[in-house]
Amino acid sequence: MTADGLDPVIHAPARLRIVVTLAALPDGDSVSFTRLQDMLELTPGNLITHLRKLEDAGYLVTDTTGNGRASRTSITLTHQGRSALDAYTDALRLLLGSV
Amino acid sequence: MHRPHDDDELDPTEAARLLARTEREAQRQFDLSPQWVNAVMGAVILVAYGSLWLSTRGQHPYTGPSLGVIALVYVPVAVAFAVSVKVYRRATAGVGGPSVRRQQAEGVAILVSFVLGSPVLQGAMHHHGASDAIVYGVIPAAAPLIIVGTTALGIAASKADRPLFGAALAVVIAGVVAAFAGPSGARLAAGIGLFIAVVAYAAATTRLDRSVPRRA
Repeated sequence: MTADGLDPVIHAPARLRIVVTLAALPDGDSVSFTRLQDMLELTPGNLITHLRKLEDAGYLVTDTTGNGRASRTSITLTHQGRSALDAYTDALRLLLGSV
Repeated sequence: MHRPHDDDELDPTEAARLLARTEREAQRQFDLSPQWVNAVMGAVILVAYGSLWLSTRGQHPYTGPSLGVIALVYVPVAVAFAVSVKVYRRATAGVGGPSVRRQQAEGVAILVSFVLGSPVLQGAMHHHGASDAIVYGVIPAAAPLIIVGTTALGIAASKADRPLFGAALAVVIAGVVAAFAGPSGARLAAGIGLFIAVVAYAAATTRLDRSVPRRA
């Protein structure tokens, strides 16, 4: 946790936007890497780096099908990721409420 | 639009703003039925059914709408259909999973009930010697509303989707009223009922969106 009690995995601009965007989908749905990149306007390298951090924390899963140029990567928020975002939001509300 | 850089320190206020902005933007991009599409649908329904009603009002015997009016009706309907398909494709581009598969199955159910329902009834009525006023006037106006509306009612009930349930019920009621309103009045009843259903659905979903607490 950060000094504010916020989850450091989510508490970074790009990762916060990734998690919130994925949470806007119904539970269990996935979005392609390309669509997510278009929506967030991040470079592929930047997006990969942040996705890896979130995946390492168990907040999302990535699934790649096909090979080479035909490959397609889809990203799904896990239940753990959704709960982490809920907890992050609660912590944020608490912090802002106490200001 | 200013967005904090990835390595920026994010203070809680800024994080809350970023969260709320991202959530709004994501919901807008994934929205299958934005309010402007509902507005287009409402206008198309009024123009289409209003034209059909005006062109057949007071016909004795019933001869049906003129070809010009039918063309006038089909153009906005085709445009509305194309707009809906484009919005759906844009919203679901790159999205997969259980909810998308369920939406596709629901779409097929609606399409099948729309395509098969009315023509089958019209064919049966014609076969048994019903008048043109019934076969080409009342049935095409009332039957699709009752059949498609009932299909949508089932879908809404299975998802506990109250706005959709209310709209589908309004469509079914409009279809029932249309069935007893005569060949010309059927178009008027169907048009008014569909318009009310679209407007009520848009209002209900807007109210629901506002009542759901934002994350921050």
